[in-house]
Amino acid sequence: MIETIDKIPPENIYLVDATRRADLPFYDALVPAGFSNPADNHIRERLNLQDLCVLHPDCTYFVKAVGESMIGDYIYDGSILVVDATIPVETGRVIVAWVNGECCVKRFVRQAKMIMLESSNVLYPPRYVHLDRDQFSVLGVVTYIVSKPPKYVRPR
Amino acid sequence: MYGLVDANNFYASCHRAFDPTLEGKPIVVLSNRDGNIVARSNEAKALGIGMGQAFFETKDLREQHDIRVFSSNYELYGDVSARLMSVLTQFVPDVEVYSIDEAFLLCEDYVGIYPSYSGLGQDIREKMKQWLRLPVCVGFAPTKTLAKVANRLAKKNPELNGVCVLDSQEAIAEALEHFPIADLWGVGRKSAGKLKRNGIETAAQLRDVNDDWIRQTMTVNGLRLVHELRGLPCKLLEVNPPAKKSICTEPGFGQVIPDLTQINDALTVHLSRVCEKLRRQESLCGAVTVWLRTNPYRRTPGNGQPAKQYSNSVTVRLPHPTSSTLEIVKYAESALKAIFRFGYHYAKVGVMLTDLVPQDYRQAGVFVSGPDERLIKLSKAMDKVNKRYGHDTLRMASQLYNPEWPMKPQWLTPRYTTRWDDILEAK
Repeated sequence: MIETIDKIPPENIYLVDATRRADLPFYDALVPAGFSNPADNHIRERLNLQDLCVLHPDCTYFVKAVGESMIGDYIYDGSILVVDATIPVETGRVIVAWVNGECCVKRFVRQAKMIMLESSNVLYPPRYVHLDRDQFSVLGVVTYIVSKPPKYVRPR
Repeated sequence: MYGLVDANNFYASCHRAFDPTLEGKPIVVLSNRDGNIVARSNEAKALGIGMGQAFFETKDLREQHDIRVFSSNYELYGDVSARLMSVLTQFVPDVEVYSIDEAFLLCEDYVGIYPSYSGLGQDIREKMKQWLRLPVCVGFAPTKTLAKVANRLAKKNPELNGVCVLDSQEAIAEALEHFPIADLWGVGRKSAGKLKRNGIETAAQLRDVNDDWIRQTMTVNGLRLVHELRGLPCKLLEVNPPAKKSICTEPGFGQVIPDLTQINDALTVHLSRVCEKLRRQESLCGAVTVWLRTNPYRRTPGNGQPAKQYSNSVTVRLPHPTSSTLEIVKYAESALKAIFRFGYHYAKVGVMLTDLVPQDYRQAGVFVSGPDERLIKLSKAMDKVNKRYGHDTLRMASQLYNPEWPMKPQWLTPRYTTRWDDILEAK
């Protein structure tokens, strides 16, 4: 088949979504004639958290964490996880997956024919998944965690 | 080359995408008011559950098998569909969204990245599986009609692995050889019957008919179809689809209703909805059809005899095209009064807006002045308010307001991707 000159992998080609809102700052200042606003050339788009956290808007899901099994990875009860389904699952990544119908967030470790799902809280033992016996399917890899700062408790 | 990507059992697959325990289980999805079955998984089809079958008829089957029942969750389907279409544009620039779960691709110059069409198809399938957890089938062929054929073959023959490419004359001929005409795109039951009476049973026979004959029997659309089967593209990609020609709605009441006031109330509610749709697609309507009917399955509670039946409909032409709810409701109400008969238990009232024209189209009448611009503006203002503060915040006074009236569906599932309260939870 035809060879193209620049090989851009298809997953790097996006359609620009015109409906997404971009806030542009509006500088409402009277400018004396003859002297232009020095900031004019520096007006840029305002920062948007969505652009930082969501690389693939079509394949990203938000999931709420429940429980404290992943507290060592800064995932607290009630944290919102940004989960990207396009990122390949590799050993060491924190993933959201269903094990026998139960949705869980764990660290993925491949061990020969088994998969170990590790928690980052000593109170929670790792979970072993046998691919031939357990129903296992992955939603995606956690790319960002959105949480509120923990409540301050005064040490006594 | 055209491609057709079609999700398998889309509604059922959307539920599976967020609950893998449903894999391999029979699933049925119910219509708006949990009345009928609008979608089935393959397992449910195998149990003999029919499309559009009334839900109560499946009671015995549900007792025997572990059938999972879902009320339709259009918010979820809509979002999954939008994601599906958007991901497709990463493969091919020109995508025509044909329905909620189908899209045509124009893949003319795009083969460079993939070694072959089947490679592209397999990659689409793989990515959809991993990224959206949706099973899809892909068909490639020189025309849209043939792409539909290819897609159907990919779905019916598991050994094709979900991708079917018809890129040579031999492959096309072989595919059409045993393909029944009733399954062709654009052949309805009526034309299929007509063709069968003339001895045409397979797509291959239809391809080889005489041009003049087919034009006479099936108009120019039939001729286009025949040309498409021969590999001549006649139906091009429609990236900006034309606005709908008619809009209608006919939900049931949820209970039988004998009196005119309540029916009028329901009619106003439906009409406000369809008028909202009308304004959203920036059209005006020129005629309103109202119909009313009793429940054909109902039996009189006392004696168990079939209840007496009545149904009627009437179409009112408006003096000028308009999209104002206030104006249309006046005509719809008089239409309803004209067909209403006392003494029946009604099950459904329906309303349909036809003769739709684009909004900028205005034709002055001879004896009437044009539509009142202020009324149209008023309706648009109402839409804005209702969009921000929720349905029916501003409503017609004739709409007896009962917030419990649209019955709550019984088997609702979370709207995983569109509501913060409904997102998945992970332990």
